[in-house]
Amino acid sequence: MRADDAKGMLGRALFAAAAILTVGFANFTPLAAYSVNLLMQSSTYAISVLGLTIVLGYAGQINLAQAAFFGLGAYSVALGTTALELPFFPSLAIGIVLASAAGAVLGLTSLRLGGHYLAMVTISFQTILALVLINWVSLTRGPDGVLNIKRPSLFHGYFTDSGHYLALCIAALYGVGYLVWHLRKTRLGRAMQAVRDNELAAGVVGVDTYHTKVTAFTLSALLGGLGGALFAGGFAYISPDQFTFSESVVFLTMVLLGGARSPVGSVLGTGLLILLPEWLRFLKTVYLAVYGSAVILIMVFMPDGIWGFASSMGRKLRPRSPIALAELSPLPLTREVGREDGTTILEASGLSKHFGGLKAVDEVDFSVVRNSVHALIGPNGSGKTTLLNVLSGIYRPTKGSVAFEGHDITRLKPHERAGSGIGRTFQNVRLFGALSVLDNVMVGAERPGHVVEGGALGLERHALAALDFVGLAPRAHERVGSLSYGHQRLVEIARALAGSPKLLLLDEPGAGLNHVEKDGLVDLLKRLKGHGLTIFIIDHDMNLVEQVADHITVLNFGRSIAEGSPSEVLRHPDVVAAYLGEVESHAAS
Amino acid sequence: MGFNLQLFFTGVGVGSIYALVALGFVLIYRATNVVNFAQGDFAMLGAFSMVVLAIDLALPYWLSIAITIGAMVAAGALFNLGVYYPLRNRTFLPVIISTIGASILLENGVLAAYGPRPQSLPSVFSIQGFSIGSVFLDSQYLVILVVTVVMVTLQYLFFERTLLGKKMQATSQDKEMASLLGIPVALMIMLTFIYSAVLGGLAGILVAPILFVSVGMGSSIALKAFAASIIGGFGDVTGAIVGGLALGVIETFGAAYISVPYKDAFGFLMLFLFLLLRPQGLFGERVAEKA
Amino acid sequence: MRPLVLLGSLVAAGALSLAASATFAADPLKIGMVAPATGPGAESGRFQTQGAKLAVEEVNKAGGVLGRQIELVIEDDQTTNPGVVLAFSKLAGDKDIPAFLGSIRSTQIHAMAPDVLKLGKPVMIGGTDPQLTHMGNPWFFRFRPNDVYSARVIADFGVTTLGKKKWAIVHSTDAFGTNGMKNLVESLKALGVEPVLVQGYPNNSQDFTPVALAVKQSGADVMGTYMTFEPDQGIFAKQLRQLGVTLTWVGSPTTVTTTALKLAGPALYGSYAVVDFNKDSSETAKVFAAKYEAAYKTTPDVFGAWAYDAMHILALAINTAKSLEPEKIRQAILAVKGYSGVEGTYNFDQNGDGLHGYNIVKNNDGTIVFEKHIDFKD
Repeated sequence: MRADDAKGMLGRALFAAAAILTVGFANFTPLAAYSVNLLMQSSTYAISVLGLTIVLGYAGQINLAQAAFFGLGAYSVALGTTALELPFFPSLAIGIVLASAAGAVLGLTSLRLGGHYLAMVTISFQTILALVLINWVSLTRGPDGVLNIKRPSLFHGYFTDSGHYLALCIAALYGVGYLVWHLRKTRLGRAMQAVRDNELAAGVVGVDTYHTKVTAFTLSALLGGLGGALFAGGFAYISPDQFTFSESVVFLTMVLLGGARSPVGSVLGTGLLILLPEWLRFLKTVYLAVYGSAVILIMVFMPDGIWGFASSMGRKLRPRSPIALAELSPLPLTREVGREDGTTILEASGLSKHFGGLKAVDEVDFSVVRNSVHALIGPNGSGKTTLLNVLSGIYRPTKGSVAFEGHDITRLKPHERAGSGIGRTFQNVRLFGALSVLDNVMVGAERPGHVVEGGALGLERHALAALDFVGLAPRAHERVGSLSYGHQRLVEIARALAGSPKLLLLDEPGAGLNHVEKDGLVDLLKRLKGHGLTIFIIDHDMNLVEQVADHITVLNFGRSIAEGSPSEVLRHPDVVAAYLGEVESHAAS
Repeated sequence: MGFNLQLFFTGVGVGSIYALVALGFVLIYRATNVVNFAQGDFAMLGAFSMVVLAIDLALPYWLSIAITIGAMVAAGALFNLGVYYPLRNRTFLPVIISTIGASILLENGVLAAYGPRPQSLPSVFSIQGFSIGSVFLDSQYLVILVVTVVMVTLQYLFFERTLLGKKMQATSQDKEMASLLGIPVALMIMLTFIYSAVLGGLAGILVAPILFVSVGMGSSIALKAFAASIIGGFGDVTGAIVGGLALGVIETFGAAYISVPYKDAFGFLMLFLFLLLRPQGLFGERVAEKA
Repeated sequence: MRPLVLLGSLVAAGALSLAASATFAADPLKIGMVAPATGPGAESGRFQTQGAKLAVEEVNKAGGVLGRQIELVIEDDQTTNPGVVLAFSKLAGDKDIPAFLGSIRSTQIHAMAPDVLKLGKPVMIGGTDPQLTHMGNPWFFRFRPNDVYSARVIADFGVTTLGKKKWAIVHSTDAFGTNGMKNLVESLKALGVEPVLVQGYPNNSQDFTPVALAVKQSGADVMGTYMTFEPDQGIFAKQLRQLGVTLTWVGSPTTVTTTALKLAGPALYGSYAVVDFNKDSSETAKVFAAKYEAAYKTTPDVFGAWAYDAMHILALAINTAKSLEPEKIRQAILAVKGYSGVEGTYNFDQNGDGLHGYNIVKNNDGTIVFEKHIDFKD
């Protein structure tokens, strides 16, 4: 840990040194006009492309209108400093506000739909904005564009000089680059990446997915606006044809080429795509055809872009410093439970979920008692997972209600339920595949309403403690996708535990595990039970259920057919019939 | 009256172009859950192939059509192998971007090979159209409308009545289940790409006499066709056709009564409203949530 | 932390590697030119390059400039505004280049204008937006008649020569079309005519029925058009005829390009157009066309013609000035009067506009016939 911190400080110091050096260099060295223009274009574009790093790279949402946001910023500065005769910086502020507002509105209206719809909505916005820029001549000056755009007049016109203005742009790029880089390791940034890797799981773990996506989209638009505003000042002339759909595609290619998941990639991609036409001039008319094939090839062979490719190579060569296990304090599991032993924590009444004519869950009533392990069993297709999805808010019930700690939570969204203290795992493991084991668990620890003392370090230690509880702390820095299936299941449990849930929903935690792993799981469940955690568990495995459950509900064809203590329930004739029936049908198939 | 009738016929005509291209979108979407941003460029390829064969090489028209369809089969297969297949197990995002790359490649490849000058392609029929009172009916629009209806009917019969069609449909509904049932999923997807490339090429041949043949001809139609298919409820064949026709009519009337310069905005505005008010489209998309 | 360091050093490396651009003194006299080699304008860029090179060869054969051979340095402008800015500033970094040939696209020239003003060296341009030579930038010299003249010629020809008073104007909503429309409205006003219809349309329209119906309903007997793309013009012409509209058509140069004739076919028969380059308009033009065809096996068009004239007049001006000083070259260009170029007779005014008139041609059943040349004194 200490070593990492020291490295972090060193990295920041080096970054700051590079920033000061470059900005100073741009400021004090008279550069050729060509270099100034090239750098001006690269740095302002890169700021806009960093916006795509957030929305596409972090949050995994497509944005085919970045040129429109860039244009909003550019036009604000252009018209602000000419038609309205405002100073540069207020115009820039207007541009940022306009672009962010447009991004927010667009995101609010379309991000519930996601995917292809988002692609279409952003294309629509892009097309309409381009039409407005051309046709609303009295406001935008139409297709001629805007001339004589001013630069900041601060300090007696210090920034009107191209070199000084360039230094300003580069400084802005460094600033934005640092913030975007830093964002990744913040709560918001982790939430975005969680949404990207597994939206459903993110919601259940406590991430307000819609809010997170809208925020990412708005931030992306904001940076688009900032880049555009600086661009307009730099080149003193803009025209509508610079902000069309094809420019949005260029922005998109820049971020993908370099690598969307890291700000380094965005800067790399922007620089490359601006320099590439300069280098590839010998290709002449086939240049764009080569460019098109390059896009396909990158998607096929380097889906994470050049930087993503390079850094995955680098990661293989460079092991992280080991985790200091001795420093970890045990997970404060029992903190949230205890006082009112034996009272009801969760109550489902008349709960139904129908898909068309299929009654997956039909009029089910049950209640989970605090500090107990309650199992839900039933043959395949009996509606167990559907019921769990209704409990965690993924499905809205057709009828009935769910109350948690006496409050009706029937209409709450998954992240709101997570916020009130319900954690869960999935039958088919749903982790955030591109994140590290530790980051996965940290997302869980950051659920709403869960306060961890000690800031970022405290949070990390809390997450490590949760990992330690399932025995995976030494692998905290590995990519979660590289773990074995059994370990991934444990990470999922640790992720839920890190949020200190009052109730833990486990969806067939034993599925797909071998005997050794299953024994380990039973042991883990017993330890959890020992800590007094309330658990609602679904499983097939009678052996496992018998060992841990205090109370069992049996579901068949969507209906509850038996309920009671394990010994009672397992002798119940309907249950025996249901299970024997299943055994027979298994034999038949 | 004549004025509005003329607008209506033209709107339906333009709409039939959108509908024809939208069909290709919908098919690929149903099979792969991916939007093919190069669908319009299939039309462009088909049209250019006709220009080369029927005009530059002066081959008979019908032979040229046959060769073009053959070429589109190859194009569809290549497209699947190069653009979709390597990315089949990834999310939709890399695939979308890959098809955007393919679109850039196709347009600029043709540009480099053939030059930027637009070409003209005569219609299969020598008559240009006929007038009824003050209303003029362009015969090519009628041809497009007829071909669209025929293709939809054939497609329906194929998917509902033949084993191969049913297999393709099963693949589009649930790939995992289909492969468990022993359906060669990769082959079915290959066939889908081939079919929609042919459909796109056909659209190109049919619209060329009206819109001429240029490198950008496909992408400007495709964006509208895409909008049309969303209006109709993505993934629904009837919806794509109704959406296409509706878009054509709305655009034409909007241009005549509100503003010509903002013509392209009407379709997208309508799309916006649809996404806000009725995201499932006119006919509703089968939304499947997987937990 | 390492990515952050990389991010930092990446930007730094980018900046440093571009630090200096070296300059070497060379014997031949370098003239810079920006032209599209990539992007949608690549084809027109080839014509521009060929026209300029033809002129360079001739000048060099005749002894060059100030006893030195001309060497053309060409940079690709990618047909985009940022592209032209980069291309021009790259050329501008070479201190040995005394003058430049610029773009034919008006928005590109606007984009490079701030750099041109700062550099203070003459740039020959082909963009026809009138504003370009009227915005206080003394370094632009235009080798095509600006759009004020095309509009005045369309209006003058229609109103005075053909005697038509009921005008419809149809224009693309891009920079070219919108400015053309504005100038045409003003020119008509000067002749006492108020158009009965002014109708814009977006480029790449798939259908022109609403526009054609609007023209029909306006009852106009003559129509002036500024249309940018030939397919648009072809669709419009066909639909106009299909709806039974027969009026006199006087269009911008796009109306009579080879492509337009091929696409629209009979639908454009009988229409008139203004063109700045027509190979039958003068003896000089005929000779140029013959030489061009001999050299490149294609018929020259306006893209080659203006660059050819620009290079010749620039060489002439440097020779007259006997100096490479920008201000002296500038004065020498402005002093050019009565020079017979392939685009017409050049009489530079104080704004830097060399040409003040257009040719009128007619589409006579598919062949282009030269009608008349209209020149203005002011």
